[in-house]
Amino acid sequence: MENSTFEFRTVYPSDSSPEMEEVRNLLSDNQLELETRVEVFVVCEAEGRIIACAGLDHNTIKCVAVADEWRGVSLSLQLGTEVIKLAAQRGQFHLFLYSRPHNLPFFRGWGFYPLVQVPQLVVLMDNSPTALRQYCAKLRSQHQQGKTIGGVVLNANPFTRGHQYLVEKAAGECEWLHVFVVKEEASLFSYADRFALVQEGVAPIGNLTLHPGSDYIISRATFPGYFLKEQATIDHGWAGIDLLLFREYIAPALGITHRFVGAEPFDPVTNQYNRDMKTWLEQSSSPAPPIAVVEVPRVTASGAPISATEVRRLLAQGDYSRIEQLVPATTMQFLETKYPLGMSISK
Amino acid sequence: MKLRRSMLFVPGSNAGALSTAFIYKPDTIMFDLEDAVAPSEKDSARLMVFQALRHPAYAEFETVVRINELDTDFGMKDLEAAIRGGAHIVRLPKTENADQIRELEGHAARIEKACGRPVGDTKIMAAIESASGVVNSVSIATASPRMVAIAIAGFDYLVDMHAKRSNGSQPELFYARAAILNAARAARICAYDVVYGNVDDDEGFLREVAIAKGLGFDGKSLIHPKQVDLLHRAYAPTPDEVDHAKRVLAAAESAHRKGLGVVSLDGKMVDPPVIDEAQMVLARAEAA
Amino acid sequence: MKVIREAIAGTLESSDLLVKVAPSDKGVRDIVIRSEVIKQFGKQIKRVVAETLDNLSVSEGAVEIDDKGALDCVIRARVQAAVLRASDTQELNWEKLK
Repeated sequence: MENSTFEFRTVYPSDSSPEMEEVRNLLSDNQLELETRVEVFVVCEAEGRIIACAGLDHNTIKCVAVADEWRGVSLSLQLGTEVIKLAAQRGQFHLFLYSRPHNLPFFRGWGFYPLVQVPQLVVLMDNSPTALRQYCAKLRSQHQQGKTIGGVVLNANPFTRGHQYLVEKAAGECEWLHVFVVKEEASLFSYADRFALVQEGVAPIGNLTLHPGSDYIISRATFPGYFLKEQATIDHGWAGIDLLLFREYIAPALGITHRFVGAEPFDPVTNQYNRDMKTWLEQSSSPAPPIAVVEVPRVTASGAPISATEVRRLLAQGDYSRIEQLVPATTMQFLETKYPLGMSISK
Repeated sequence: MKLRRSMLFVPGSNAGALSTAFIYKPDTIMFDLEDAVAPSEKDSARLMVFQALRHPAYAEFETVVRINELDTDFGMKDLEAAIRGGAHIVRLPKTENADQIRELEGHAARIEKACGRPVGDTKIMAAIESASGVVNSVSIATASPRMVAIAIAGFDYLVDMHAKRSNGSQPELFYARAAILNAARAARICAYDVVYGNVDDDEGFLREVAIAKGLGFDGKSLIHPKQVDLLHRAYAPTPDEVDHAKRVLAAAESAHRKGLGVVSLDGKMVDPPVIDEAQMVLARAEAA
Repeated sequence: MKVIREAIAGTLESSDLLVKVAPSDKGVRDIVIRSEVIKQFGKQIKRVVAETLDNLSVSEGAVEIDDKGALDCVIRARVQAAVLRASDTQELNWEKLK
C-alpha cells in the first residue's frame, strides 16, 4: 500500500556491477567503507536509484547506510527486516551488528541489544535478548571457588608445547583455570580437531575446566580483525569489544581474576592483541572489576620460540623430525595419522 | 441492498495495512494473497489473512480474499484459508473461462463441507485480465450461482492487448469495460472497474471514477485507503437525485397500497428497474 | 508439533512483530517478549503467544518476539508461521490454527 514504492534486492560485491558502484558511493556519502568481508548486500531502490543498503558478513550485519533524504523510520525498519530475512535464508539467525554509539537507537528498532561499548567509537549489538545471558548462566554452572581464578583463550592451530607450557604455568599459579578454544572455523585445523588436541594435551592437569568456544570469545563477530591477519594495523576499538565482553560478562560468570597469555614474538596481530589486553582488561574504566593480565614468556626449542605458525610451516615441508620438538606427543600422533605425507598449505 | 462502490486492496503480508484498513470504511475489503505478496511470504500472509478475517474489526465488512491461481503451489491453500477464515467472497485472478469458476466451485464445496460452512455460502468474484477473458465474460459471469461480481484488471489486459494506459477518455479500455459491464448486468451481478495506481494523482483518479460511474459500474478496486472517501463522494447522488428517488419510491409505495400494477411519475413509467435504481441512489446517499 | 530448525516470521515494522523460533536444548518451552507496549500489554501478548503455541502442541522450543504493537490476530499469525517454518509439517491442520 503506502510502501509499494520501495524495491528490495540483493547485490553481491563479487559481481562488479553498476549497483555495487552505487553502493560504494552511498557508503562513502555516509563515511563508511565497503568492507572486504561483506558477502551480500540488501539494497533498496526508489526512483531508479539505490537509497539504502545493508551488508552481511556471515552472521554480522555491516555497512548499513540510508541516503540522507530518505531517513525515516519506515524505510529503516523495512531494510532491517530484509537483511534479517536474508540472513535467515543463509542459515544465520543469531546476528551481530556494529554501530556507532549515536546510531544505537536506530538498531534497537531492528531488535538488536547493545552488548559492550567502546565509548565514542563503537557498540557491539546482537539480536537476542537472552543468548549472552544464557551463555553466562551455562558458564556460572561451572564456577569454581577461589581467590585466583585464571582464564586462557587458545586458537591452538595446532596445539604446541608452547600452549602446553602456557596452560601448565597458568594452572600452577591459580586455584582453578578456565581454558577456552576459539570456535571459529577460520584456521588450518578444524575446530573439532583443535579442541580434541587441547583436550588431550591438558588432560593431566587437575585444576582446569576446558570450555568450548562461543560467538562471544574471539569470534568472527566479536573480533573480525583477528581473522584478517594480512591487515597490518588492527583497530584498537575492535579488540576492545572482544576484551570488554570477556571482562564484563565471561570473567564475572566464572569469577576469573587473571587472564594468561603467551608472549607473541612473531604475529603482529596477536602481539597487538596482548597489549590491548592490558588496556581493556586492567586499565580502562568499566563497570566490571579489572582482570590482571599475565604474559607468559615463550618456551623455546633449539633456541627459537615455539609457535603454531612454525609448526604449520614445517608441516607444509613434511619436516616431522623438527615438528616433533615443537608439539606434545598427542599432537604429533594426530599430525602423523592425519597427514602421513605432510601437507601443502594452500591458504 | 449491498453497496459495492469501494473494494480496498489490503496486502496480506502487511500487518500495518491489515490492522487499519477497517478505519477507512470501504464497502468491501479485499485481502490480497496474490500480486502484493512475495513468494517467500505467501505462507505467512495466508495465516495473517486467516486471522484477520476472524477479527471482530472486520465482522461488519464484506470480505474478499484474492487467492493465487489454483494451479500454483499456493492457490489451494489460499482457498482453504479464505473459506475457513470466513471470507464472504473468493476472488479468482486471471479468469479465462467458465470451467475455472466451476473448478473453484467444486473445491469450495469440499472445503465448506469439511469446515462446517453451508455449501454455497462462499461467493465468487472473477477478475478478468485478458482478451479471452473479456470474450468469455458472459459465460464466466453466469458460470455459478456463487458468482456475485466480476472485476476488470487493467494492467494485464492492456499488456495482452498490446495497448498502453492513457489519460482522458481511455479508449483502450472501452471495449473491455463495456463487455464486462454488459456481462455483469446480464447475469445480474456487480461489476468493478480497474485500480488507479498513481495514488498521488487525485484528479486523474476522479476522472477515471467519472468514466466508470458514467458507464454504470457498481464500483472500483482501490489500492490506497485515501481513495475510499474520494470514491464515495464521487458516487454520492446529488440532492435532486435523492429527491427524485424518494418520490419514485413514494409513488411505487402508494401504487402498491392501492393495488395498482403500474404507476407513473412526472409522465414516466415507474417499473421494477426504476425502483431498483431509486433504492440504489438512496443507499448511496445514506452511505455517502 | 516439533521445532526442528530455526525460523523467523514477521517484520520489524509498526503493528507487526518479528518471531524467532529455535529448537530448545533444555527440553522446555521458553518465551521471551520485547515490546514497545510491554507495560500495558505484556501479559496479554504472552497469553496470546502461549495459547497459539498450545494449540499447535508446541511444548519445546525457544521463542523470541520483538513486538511493535501488533494486534492479537497478527501475533497469532506470525507465531503460527514461524512454528510451521521451524517444523517439518507439510500439511496444515487448520483445526489447530485457532
